[in-house]
Amino acid sequence: MPALDNTFLFVEPMQHYLNYGSTILHQIVGANKNPSQTIVELIGSDATPEKALEQLTSLQPIVFSLTGHGSETTTSLECTAKLVNTESPELELFKDKVISLVSCLTAQQLGPAIVDAGAVAYIGYKEEFWFFIGDEAGTTRAVQSPFLAAYQFEASLLHGKSTSGARTDQLAKYDEEIAYWITGDGKNDPYGMELARILEMNKTNSVFLGEGYVTPSPSPTVMVAGASSIPFALATIILGVLIYRELKQ
Amino acid sequence: MTKELVSNWFSKLPENEKDLPLLLSDGLAYTPRTAYNEVMRGSPVGDKLQALIETGRFGTTTEDEQAIAKTRLEQWLKQQPDKPLFATLSNKTFTPSQLLQEIQQETPIGIQWRNNEISHMKNIVRLR
Repeated sequence: MPALDNTFLFVEPMQHYLNYGSTILHQIVGANKNPSQTIVELIGSDATPEKALEQLTSLQPIVFSLTGHGSETTTSLECTAKLVNTESPELELFKDKVISLVSCLTAQQLGPAIVDAGAVAYIGYKEEFWFFIGDEAGTTRAVQSPFLAAYQFEASLLHGKSTSGARTDQLAKYDEEIAYWITGDGKNDPYGMELARILEMNKTNSVFLGEGYVTPSPSPTVMVAGASSIPFALATIILGVLIYRELKQ
Repeated sequence: MTKELVSNWFSKLPENEKDLPLLLSDGLAYTPRTAYNEVMRGSPVGDKLQALIETGRFGTTTEDEQAIAKTRLEQWLKQQPDKPLFATLSNKTFTPSQLLQEIQQETPIGIQWRNNEISHMKNIVRLR
């Protein structure tokens, strides 16, 4: 069964500091989704390997995205439970899909294995992915910033961009966030030095593999076409009313 | 050569960056603030430092770059509150002093920070 356009699966564990990322991913999904899309989010205690694999099988999402702790060969979900490694037969479930792993180190071996298993694209990190925990999750720009940059890829895919367009947007978002902490409003923030360096490292270590032409959510074109016919319909109705009045007199 | 470029560059920097060593001339390291003062005084070393800033270089060999990067990280991290500030998506957390240990022991994490600091220094000296 092929992956289905406009279908997204997001996995958002909360423990072991993963709430710092999952909270932002949840907000980004909420702000960027549209009614033509089928979106499933596995949050907190639902973010288990069993449920993720079950949804991958039954939903066949074109995009699979997670926040999780990772290594060169493995990525994990809630309570650091392993989802897959480079040898897992479940890698087959990634075939024809766009896979985003906001995890450490997976671009070294797991990412290439995912593409070898037939994924159309993979995005992840080849070294440690850093984030700031000096404030509570989701409460300040400092804790949000690394994930706002990372999840720009998902935001752009939800907006109908191709995989290469979303990757370009993500790199631009990294530059925007870095500029905020070096020359923008955050440059003299007590933690500005931390954030500038964290974002620089994450940007340098981010890796995109696979095809750039895939557009997981092509529906906005249809919506634009539909929207552009509304003024024409209104003009036709108004004209009809005017002609009716003229004829009546 | 114009002092205005150096002045604009200096004013754009975050305050905390102004007192970290950045430029090397004749074996001595200069922070942006000391470099700015030398340039404004029009001293001989100021001319050399101005040339480095204008060309976006910091005048060091690879070994010197690594040494200055380490010094910068040490100076900065020692000033930070010693509570967990940093985390990774490989399930690790660090206080500034724990991160400093990684840098001093040149672990893979320490090397990641040191190498990034060299890139960061390039971004800072080329800021316009």
